[in-house]
Amino acid sequence: MRIGIVCPYSFDVPGGVQNHVMDLAEALIGLGHEVSVLAPADEDSPLPSYVVPAGRAVPLPYNGSVARIAFGPVSTARVRRWITRGDFDVLHVHEPLTLSLSMLAVLSARGPVVATFHTAMTRSRVLAAAQGVLQILLERITARIAVSALARKVQVEHLDGGAVEIPNGVAVAKYAGVEPLSGWPGACGPGTGGTLGFLGRFTEPRKGFPILRDAFVELARQRPGLRLLVAGPGDPDDLFNRFPADLRDRVTFLGLVPEPEKARMLRSVHLYVAPNTGGESFGMILTEALAASTTVVASDLDAFRRVLDGGRAGRLFPTGDAVALRQTIAELLDDPDQRAELTACGDQVVANFDWPVVARRVLEVYAAAIEATDGRVIDQEWAGPD
Amino acid sequence: MPGMWWVVGATVVVALVAVYLIWTAGRVERLQDRAQLAARALDAHLLRRAAAAAVLAERRYGVELYAAARIALDAQPEEREAAENDLTRQLRAVRLDPTDGDCEAVIAASRRLALARQVHTDLVRDARSVRSRPLVRLLRMGRGHTWPRYFDIDDPTLTVPAADVPIR
Repeated sequence: MRIGIVCPYSFDVPGGVQNHVMDLAEALIGLGHEVSVLAPADEDSPLPSYVVPAGRAVPLPYNGSVARIAFGPVSTARVRRWITRGDFDVLHVHEPLTLSLSMLAVLSARGPVVATFHTAMTRSRVLAAAQGVLQILLERITARIAVSALARKVQVEHLDGGAVEIPNGVAVAKYAGVEPLSGWPGACGPGTGGTLGFLGRFTEPRKGFPILRDAFVELARQRPGLRLLVAGPGDPDDLFNRFPADLRDRVTFLGLVPEPEKARMLRSVHLYVAPNTGGESFGMILTEALAASTTVVASDLDAFRRVLDGGRAGRLFPTGDAVALRQTIAELLDDPDQRAELTACGDQVVANFDWPVVARRVLEVYAAAIEATDGRVIDQEWAGPD
Repeated sequence: MPGMWWVVGATVVVALVAVYLIWTAGRVERLQDRAQLAARALDAHLLRRAAAAAVLAERRYGVELYAAARIALDAQPEEREAAENDLTRQLRAVRLDPTDGDCEAVIAASRRLALARQVHTDLVRDARSVRSRPLVRLLRMGRGHTWPRYFDIDDPTLTVPAADVPIR
């Protein structure tokens, strides 16, 4: 089938929505469908062949951060032209409530429209004031997808409609067989060695880095050779100042790692630790760690518990409890059998998040939207062979 | 000539009101049509699930499931919701084996039914909300259509992998 996907944010800057759109488009193409992605981008910027650039994006402060978007009469004309030329069976827009190409596409669309909501926006004042306008917009959407339980809750409570929850996918194939960084993860035996990993903004309180630091500092004193690998944005001095001088040489900081390097980083550790204290709606990083076949230790948040299948695919510890985290880490580092058991289960769990699997579920929503628009029912086999 | 301005002004106002009314009438019509098409799709998926369940029952699970499937297929409109819920309960009571072709067909049909039901509910809500607007009621727009009705059944989704059970 012919699918048109609209991404509101520019591919020039990396971001969760952009990655999601690209991975989804590639998975759908892999299943044999024709996909065209419309996104703000310069005509001359290097883009995958399925992306149609819709002109330069302008930076605009939105929802607490800066979004690069395209809006206005020129963009409207381009969106219309793209829709007319594309002759799509279904139009799939992302984040249609932002002032963006997605919103323009919804307003210009005639046929079935599927919308994916990524952020768990709470009811903003803008949203409340524009209820009438919003209603006209939402009316044109045939089926809605939410990527997390939290995003779905917002749909149900504030936007007065249901949404199908389909999780973010992870391209498992890209993680399989990736070589770890040279010299990592190193030795790990009873009472000695072992490598812990942390990925994310260590300065942000909700990521819970101080909890991991406390556990690490305590354990490193008892356990020679224990190392910590940190990746993410931030200032190295700021990171190292958080550790006692004698332990600083056991901490390695990679800085911000590009997407392909993430897989290598995750494979370079014995345990990936996610000490977050809240604010996580889905836990993308956990599915990535599972895809890299790395053992996961995570705080007992709803989102994490769901991804880790209630603790079968990774160990959970009471949120915010550094002592419990230390004990869990020590126990797992001493027990390779238990780690192997967790990663084996993790491989099964992450298969549900693999992009081809997720893309098939999205295709079923497309089918539902098309059926609700013209009343005919599409055959089950249409999603393509396995 | 002030009289002419009055005429021009009145014409503009009438034109604007007319445009708004035509637009609203189109909107009512569109939403009403969509709700009806969604109801047709939902009906097709209900039949499809019941048929798949009947096939499965004939081969594996016997009389009770077969009876529930038959009742769902033959139900009168006013009994249909209850009959479909009954079928969902019967399907949940048996152990479905995802590797078996007929079971897989029932699971897939239930999943598609869940989506059709979700979309139908949303579209009916949109149609009802626009039809209950005062102006729409006053001018009796959309009176050629029946008042859109919800189809109120339990979530028919069967076994889903533990990792993506939705939170309610």
